[in-house]
Amino acid sequence: MNIVSFQDVSRVYRNGDHEQRALDHVNLRLEKGKFIVVLGPSGAGKSTLLNLLGGLDSPTEGKIVVAGKDISTLSNNELADYRAETVGFVFQSYNLIPTLTVLENVALVKEIAPKALSSHEMLKSVGLADHIHNFPSELSGGEQQRVSIARALAKNPEILLCDEPTGALDSETGVMVLRLLLSMARDMGKTIIIVTHNQNIARMADVVVQVKNGQILACEEQEHPLNVEEVDW
Amino acid sequence: MLLRKLFRTLLQYKAQFISMIIMIALGVGVFIGFNMEWYSLEKNLEYIYSATGFSDFRIYSEKGFSSKDLAAIRALPGVEDATRYLSVNTTVKDDTDMIALTVNENMNVSGLLLMAGEPYDEKSEDGIWLSDQYAAKNNVRLGDALTLTYKNYSLTGTVKGLIKSSEYLICLPDETQLMPDYTSYGFAYISPAAFQKIIPGIFRALIGDNWYYQINVKSDLTKAAFVKAAEKALGKTLLVLSKEETLSFAEANGEIEEGKTMGSILPVLFLAIAVLTMVTTMHRITASEKTQIGTLKSLGFHDSRILRHYSAYALMIGLMGSVLGIGIGYLLGWFIMNPSGAMATYIDMPTWNLYVPWFGWVVLAGMIAVLTLLGYLSVKKMLKGTAADALRPYTPSKMKHLALEETKAFKALGFGTKWNLRDLLRHKARSLMTLFGIVGCMILLVGGLGMKDTADAFVDVFFDKAINYQNQVNLDTEGVTNGEALSLAEKYSADWCAQTSVQIGDRGFSLEIYGISHDKVRFPDENMCFVSLSDTGAYVCARMAKDMNLRPGDTLTFSPYDSDQQYTVTVAGVLRSMAESVVMTAKYAETVGFDYAINTLYTDADAASIGPNAHILNVQPKQAIMDSFDMFMELMNEMIFLLVIAAVVLGIVVLYNLGVMSYVERYREMATLKVVGFKDRKIGSLLISQNLWLSVLGILIGLPAGAGVLQYLLTALAAEYEMKMAIGPATYLISILLTFLVSLAVGLMVAKKNRRIDMVAALKTEE
Repeated sequence: MNIVSFQDVSRVYRNGDHEQRALDHVNLRLEKGKFIVVLGPSGAGKSTLLNLLGGLDSPTEGKIVVAGKDISTLSNNELADYRAETVGFVFQSYNLIPTLTVLENVALVKEIAPKALSSHEMLKSVGLADHIHNFPSELSGGEQQRVSIARALAKNPEILLCDEPTGALDSETGVMVLRLLLSMARDMGKTIIIVTHNQNIARMADVVVQVKNGQILACEEQEHPLNVEEVDW
Repeated sequence: MLLRKLFRTLLQYKAQFISMIIMIALGVGVFIGFNMEWYSLEKNLEYIYSATGFSDFRIYSEKGFSSKDLAAIRALPGVEDATRYLSVNTTVKDDTDMIALTVNENMNVSGLLLMAGEPYDEKSEDGIWLSDQYAAKNNVRLGDALTLTYKNYSLTGTVKGLIKSSEYLICLPDETQLMPDYTSYGFAYISPAAFQKIIPGIFRALIGDNWYYQINVKSDLTKAAFVKAAEKALGKTLLVLSKEETLSFAEANGEIEEGKTMGSILPVLFLAIAVLTMVTTMHRITASEKTQIGTLKSLGFHDSRILRHYSAYALMIGLMGSVLGIGIGYLLGWFIMNPSGAMATYIDMPTWNLYVPWFGWVVLAGMIAVLTLLGYLSVKKMLKGTAADALRPYTPSKMKHLALEETKAFKALGFGTKWNLRDLLRHKARSLMTLFGIVGCMILLVGGLGMKDTADAFVDVFFDKAINYQNQVNLDTEGVTNGEALSLAEKYSADWCAQTSVQIGDRGFSLEIYGISHDKVRFPDENMCFVSLSDTGAYVCARMAKDMNLRPGDTLTFSPYDSDQQYTVTVAGVLRSMAESVVMTAKYAETVGFDYAINTLYTDADAASIGPNAHILNVQPKQAIMDSFDMFMELMNEMIFLLVIAAVVLGIVVLYNLGVMSYVERYREMATLKVVGFKDRKIGSLLISQNLWLSVLGILIGLPAGAGVLQYLLTALAAEYEMKMAIGPATYLISILLTFLVSLAVGLMVAKKNRRIDMVAALKTEE
């Protein structure tokens, strides 16, 4: 079953007379419950794709349907509801609220997400049950990223969008985070979409989407994705 | 190239720069304006005092002074010059207006300043030199005839000159009136020759030439030394008033003192807020520019060059704010000090030039230096360490756990409350500045509006209610006996007063002895409640009670002028009074054996039905006194309008500047909330609620602080009115609502910005 469908989607940025096509007539279909990696060099348009999918940005042309809902024509408030209910975000730089504790950072989603899960459970599942009263600045980078994942998951979203989630982490911590993300897909049935330029991560994916110059070069399913431990980091 | 960057950065942070410039301009404006006010007043007063030979001492005697007496005083060592002088209140024919008619033998002392017309001529037998203000208000022109009457005498003369005089700088008929009212009261000079002409020959034969009951003296001696020398020269005790004890000097200098107080309190409030806001603003700007500072450093720019570049922002803010502030200062100074401005309705000066005191420039230069230094130190902090250190983005202080967080109450708070609370504590300087701005706004509002309440209550109790008569009848004390006065009082159903001057130690006070049987005069106590006078003691005014530490039951000894007799009275209570006075009933005065002469009646009888009577000098309607308040209240309203404007501007500028800063500092956090799924309205309400909390706290502090500042101002500026602070519920309500409105409006302005947050761009930025 398709959970994401891009139909002839373009995103054009205009700056005076200059026009930049970040995405150019993209068509893409992604299935539910898969671990998907979007690969491509810098400036290829992969982050734009993720931002459109996450409701942070709207397409200039085309239609994006996520979980049966056309999100390309939503108002600002409807997009906020979409972000609150359907997608969760994990960033390279974590983006936690520095003035809230770990538990509070996760619990804050209860204010907006109707299907929110227990914050304690989420933090336990990412292995941070002992750090719930710490402030983000008191945690390591990997721990902060795990809080960010717990926060994203606490909304109980259909899709988890991750923008270079291991980009700021050392390889050991990166592996830990990837293992966590993978288990979310395998055990919880979440659709995980990771944007990265790291080829190694792609080897773990169920589906690999190759992006270049604003276009989809390929969208291939991998029959035998590797486990995290099998990938040479 | 760096210069281009300077201007582009200015544009980038225009909200902060503009609000800082406005803050500095307001501070400088208020500082320069108020200091310019008192300093210009001092300078312009110096001119008229010197141009008209304002006298240093006035010697009074009800029996008058002979030319021999004058010669004896002039001969005293230390006496520069002296003159025999006379001033009586005359009535203008066919009118209820009064004119203080002045006769002066030697115009070098207590003389006049010609504004238009012919110069003063001591030989003129029909010339009147009239107050130009009175002439203007009553449409009297040069060459017009004027008939003035005093007792049974009348003088018809021609207005030959329009003048001003330092003796009538503040032209009031008596102390009950607050403000000059030239439509009904003025002054004029005539020559001794004209005066002699109207005194009938037979009368002149009786009293000789002793009709001058005053000698005015210019001398450098101290009052004590002069009194001693004068009493020795004339062989009797004398009532001597130094210039400090005259209305024209004391009140005018009171205005200077008030200006000095205002020139120090308000500007300190504004400048302190400006400088403190500058600390947070410069820190914020340099923190956001840290990577650029690092870039310049790693490119090879010397620290000194970078320091100069960034200090230039602070210098520019200081300079631009100061230039604008000087403009505002001149405007404020001019607003108070111009020939048709607020001060001119009170003080009648010939010149209204504006001067900035020398220290104004020093403070200004100092302030610009401090601001530049603040900028310098902010950059210096960012430049610390190696070029690589400087290149790293600024990281705000790490969060620390608070003891408060362990409480159940804190744990029960919503995330928004916790977020705001921790943010306030994390950015303490910003929070304190915001609080300071709100408290400042409240102080100005409560102080300003409370001033009006206090003045309203003062006028209501002191005048509207305490003056329970329609007309004050002034009797001719030389010709009336107490028996005659009492029968007049009975005739007009009047209460009466015998007022005289007494001395306690070396200070002069007014002694007022009342006969109250018709409730025409009432006496407010310290709580502004009316008391009926007891026959078992005397009452002192609040200032005397404070200065002499007098309480009910204490005794007080005084002696009349021209007499060595001493009287000791028991203090029965303390009254609020405009005049520094001792008040007692006639019965108590008789108990202590004090001999008094009734000189005033208070009655509801119609002015037209009173007199003509040989014993009556003139009739002063209550309305004339009440009219002068309209002007007083008008002035008050102007001042309050200015204060309210200042409060609102201060509130808006401080809150907006810090609100924008808070917004910038939390931009990334808000972008995160937005990505997580929070709606703009929710994020906006989080931002506004922080502003509103600070407003509640600021209001809670500002209410008592405003009342405290008002109490201080009443004591420092208007002790002579013995006002009791009165702040009505409407004042509290308006101050709270206005502060809330300002806070809410600014909060909304800032909150509106979150709609424009670019989530993608915001979250890309590295921490």
